Amino acid sequence: MSSSLRSFGGLASRLLARPTALTPSTAYAPTVQCLAPLTRAFSTTPRDLAPPGAKSKASGGKGGAAKNAKGGAKPQRKAKKGPEAPRDPKMISMLSQFAVLSPKRIPPPLRMGRNRYLRHWTIHRAWLLFRRREREARERNLMRQYQSMNAACEELRLTSGPGTREEGYLFRVAMEKKGVWGLNGIPIEYARAQTETPAKVAWNHDWKR
Amino acid sequence: MASLRGLSRPARSLPLSQLSRQTFTAGSIRCASSQAAEAAAPVLNELEQSTLMAPQLSPEEKKEFRPWKRGADRKFQLPGGRYQFHPPKYQRGPLHPIQSPPSSDPVARDFVPGPFNLPRLKQTYHSTIAPDLMTLTYMHVPPGTPPKPAPERLRAWDGSSPYHKNRPLRGPMGNSALPLMERHINFRNIPEIKEVTLASYVPDAIKDPDHLLVARSVLLALTGTTPEITHTKSNVVQWGIKAGEKAGVKTTIYGNAAYEFLDRCVHMVFPRIKDWRGIRATTGDDSGNLSWGFTPEEIKLFPEVEVNYWLYPAKMVPGCRVYVKTSATSDRQARLLLQAFGVPFYGTVRD
Repeated sequence: MSSSLRSFGGLASRLLARPTALTPSTAYAPTVQCLAPLTRAFSTTPRDLAPPGAKSKASGGKGGAAKNAKGGAKPQRKAKKGPEAPRDPKMISMLSQFAVLSPKRIPPPLRMGRNRYLRHWTIHRAWLLFRRREREARERNLMRQYQSMNAACEELRLTSGPGTREEGYLFRVAMEKKGVWGLNGIPIEYARAQTETPAKVAWNHDWKR
Repeated sequence: MASLRGLSRPARSLPLSQLSRQTFTAGSIRCASSQAAEAAAPVLNELEQSTLMAPQLSPEEKKEFRPWKRGADRKFQLPGGRYQFHPPKYQRGPLHPIQSPPSSDPVARDFVPGPFNLPRLKQTYHSTIAPDLMTLTYMHVPPGTPPKPAPERLRAWDGSSPYHKNRPLRGPMGNSALPLMERHINFRNIPEIKEVTLASYVPDAIKDPDHLLVARSVLLALTGTTPEITHTKSNVVQWGIKAGEKAGVKTTIYGNAAYEFLDRCVHMVFPRIKDWRGIRATTGDDSGNLSWGFTPEEIKLFPEVEVNYWLYPAKMVPGCRVYVKTSATSDRQARLLLQAFGVPFYGTVRD
């Protein structure tokens, strides 16, 4: 656990010099893996936590390690001069998430040969035709229902109501639309989205918290 | 009402949609994998193209088959079979000879494959909700009824000056915009969901731009689209804002994505909010667009945010406002539509 925290802190110190703008298109190193080798190959341990014999930047072998140890002290002093809080690793992961979405990463357009393009075109036209047929069938069905409602209401308007009611009583009652526009115009039990496996008991009226 | 839904209705027996046809019948146990393989076998056999299944050519046919001859005899050259066309990177205006292909073209730069699913809320809408709304709100007009004269919405000039002649009509009094007039619901005009806009105002981002990043990634997780950053409009010293500072994010989703988002709200988030009464019935802009808000605690109930909750700094998760734009022309029609989708309303109705 502590080792992972250490490595996160090391990452944060690498990313101290961050751009202030939040646009994803800023030249930001895309992944953490790419950042580490810039400073010390295959190690995410921060320099101040690294053991004294560790390889530092641009050192080829063990012989150069002692030579570069003095040069490695330089950025440490600078860091002391301007104390900056280490960046939250959550922020870093979010930034990398937006770096993936940056306009630089938009893939090039598809390239298709002639036959492949024609195949795609045929399927696309078939899909459009299918959608059009579905839509027209739906509209036809709605129109049919609307016209039958119209005919039924016309019939109701010319009918003298139950018992001794005068002509058009039932029609007037139907057109009152009592409670339709209120808050309980549609009961909440109605709102059940369709599923492939609907519940056996549609609505549990006895449910209590 | 619920029991009515379960009954078979005459409309159910009609050949409605191939997409929304129910394959499941109560009492039958369905094994999706085996059934799909059985059902698809003849179809796939037709689609399968194998040279092994082709009939053998007779020697005469073999002699007749000379594609090189046909190629040599051809007067014109066929266009190259390989990739030829580069869609332009930039729009150069409607009159420029170089134009982008339509977005439905697979080689276009803005081509988006899909749709890959049919949202169940959309399916429910087309099969059940739309006809029911039409029936519920049907107002009969007896044949021969003279049409109602429309009220005068734009005011005419009184003609006291000769300059009033041919002047365009004046706008409404006390209202800078002309409010919409409600249209009756008929079979061509049933309200439906057009788009959903999510917006979040993050004034803390002026001090610490990290808030903006968190808000962006939360909205990105909720909608799947990259949100854009909004700026403050005005200077208010007390609130510490200046005009033109980055202090918010917003994004809009359309069509299927909007239905999916509403589905998640209705079935996964609203039921889990504590002591929630519903949405205030006074919401709306008088033209069929309803809105509500989520607090940061309620944002955390969305499954996309919940599964990756460790990703966000807990104190920086923003709330957001949700604007549902419908094709309804009045608030009461839009409210009826959302009620049918399962959004409860409370309070006083303002129409």
